[in-house]
Amino acid sequence: MKKTIIFAIEVMVLTFGMVGTAKAGILEELQLRARAGYSIGGTTPIPLPETIRSIDSYSLTPSFMAGVDAQLPLNQKWGISVGLHFENKAMDGDVTTKAYHMEVVKGDSKLTGLFTGHVNQKVTQWMFTIPVQATLQLGQKLSLRGGPYLSLLVSKEFSGIASDGYLRENNPTGAKILMGNKEGEWATYDFDDDMRTLQFGIGVGADWQVHKRIGLSADLNWGLTGIFPSDFKTIEQTLYPIYGTIGVFYRLK
Amino acid sequence: MNKYIIAFVLCSCMTSCIKDEAKNNECDIESAWIEGAEFEKNFFQVTDMRKDNISSTETNITFGVRPLRQVPISTQLPIHFKITPGATIVPASGTPQDFTKGPVVYTVTSEDGQWKRSYNVSIQEVALPVQKLSFEDVEIQEVGARNQMHIFYEMAPADEGGSESAHRKYCWASGNAGAAILKTDSKPEDLPTYQSPDGKEGKCACLNTQSTGAFGALFGKPIAAGNLFLGEFIIEHVTSDALKATQFGIPNPKEPVRITGWYKYKPGEQFTDKDMEVHTDRKDEGSIYAVYYRNQDAEGNKYMLDGHAVEDLDKLMDNPQVYKVARVASLPPTDTWAQWEMYFEGKDAPDDLVQAQGFNLALVFSSSKDGAQFEGAVGSTLYIDEVEISYEK
Repeated sequence: MKKTIIFAIEVMVLTFGMVGTAKAGILEELQLRARAGYSIGGTTPIPLPETIRSIDSYSLTPSFMAGVDAQLPLNQKWGISVGLHFENKAMDGDVTTKAYHMEVVKGDSKLTGLFTGHVNQKVTQWMFTIPVQATLQLGQKLSLRGGPYLSLLVSKEFSGIASDGYLRENNPTGAKILMGNKEGEWATYDFDDDMRTLQFGIGVGADWQVHKRIGLSADLNWGLTGIFPSDFKTIEQTLYPIYGTIGVFYRLK
Repeated sequence: MNKYIIAFVLCSCMTSCIKDEAKNNECDIESAWIEGAEFEKNFFQVTDMRKDNISSTETNITFGVRPLRQVPISTQLPIHFKITPGATIVPASGTPQDFTKGPVVYTVTSEDGQWKRSYNVSIQEVALPVQKLSFEDVEIQEVGARNQMHIFYEMAPADEGGSESAHRKYCWASGNAGAAILKTDSKPEDLPTYQSPDGKEGKCACLNTQSTGAFGALFGKPIAAGNLFLGEFIIEHVTSDALKATQFGIPNPKEPVRITGWYKYKPGEQFTDKDMEVHTDRKDEGSIYAVYYRNQDAEGNKYMLDGHAVEDLDKLMDNPQVYKVARVASLPPTDTWAQWEMYFEGKDAPDDLVQAQGFNLALVFSSSKDGAQFEGAVGSTLYIDEVEISYEK
């Protein structure tokens, strides 16, 4: 056992050492960008199911992003970029539903049915994201990026309120239960613990260098994994996190 | 750059696109009424010609009419229905039907064609005064997620209502359907109100206060008291305005004087309030009371005594609709059958209105006296049997 560990450490030291020497020349060309941004988006079924009748409001949330990207040009045009970002993909929105399938489980009791009314949905997802992107330089100032990302969630919230409407228990012929417009009369739910910890998706973006070291960026990150594991049946549709980010960057190197 | 902006906008549009509205899948009768001055003679009061706010769990709709020997009813009686928008009803709303041979079955089909509900609609002579209630008969009704609950009914004798044979009168209601929302696969005995085989004579009613679990607590309704009452339970209001769900009283054409019966009572161990805070200084109590009230208000609208109206029993007589109240002062815990009695006090009701079905009798039993406020002790159990209403002054 002890031998195995020592061997593993030796292998690691050797590998990093080799990479270090091999890339010494490349390090000169490595560009480092510190980034900060603000994201707007949603965690939504795609496409919206017919049971969602309208989107009534959308409130701004603290969806901030900060991070560092290391970009390595491979030739005049193409390069590769790897980053580490800390960000929040949050949402606070109101929708009107018609016969939207819902299931609320608390302890040993459960309420399943079709909800027609108003749903206020809050999502908070603080995460570390590693984007791996190909970069394409277009002229002096503009570069485009695209590639997959992997996120590790460190704090998550998925909660909501169903109000101003009614729930038909189980199916459309079930007991009709009115939900009011204040606490005690409406139903609340939260599925924080059911959310996935790892998310995967595709991101595209553009950097526009406006000054020597300072630039603006725009990104779109499209989740390919739902925010819940596929065996989570409470919410019928798979919810994908889709967020656009407007940001600034500063070239450290 | 431009084409990327276009791509971004396209993506956004794709996700925010609202699909066409699906067809309705509900199929309820919301209201039922009889129109036409020619039919008014059959009814004691015009308000008896309408049934509004029909509960979503209801499948029987009954109109009460004057004795048929005195006022024969048309065999061509049109009943009108308000149903879920887009749904269809067979036989069609407003087409004349013959109700003299028993209930007519109406089937409502949802707009999307996927769902159906059937209703038994009947015209019956209004009931004789209630006399003896012994809880011998129940039907099992499925509610919610495969929960079974007991529906108490009384057997009306052959003569009553002009029927040639004895028939069932569904005069009792309980909050079971509300408590069942939070349950799955429960048996009648798992719900707060059910029929027990251990009666004073034969079978009896058993009422017990239950926890509604963490989910019930979410709505600020952590307990469900066992209750049984003459009247209707309108499930729609159970989460939003629970006191409106209990509609107490059925028409009773004779002024009651005294009610007696038997009981057993055991309070639960821990008294809790609606926040599930334990109050060691409070002990749960059962409750039995009755109200005789005018079922039409000053404007001529139908009046039902609901949970709001009985929140403070001491103030019941301040309600202009209420004529008489009877209350059992206390129900000391006992594990052997003990008798209770209560006398009606208040003002006398005008005879002509009483006989014209203008007054309702509400009779309410609960295993937790403040159960309507979600205060009580889980485990409190009240058994009730052999209830008798006497009209002798």
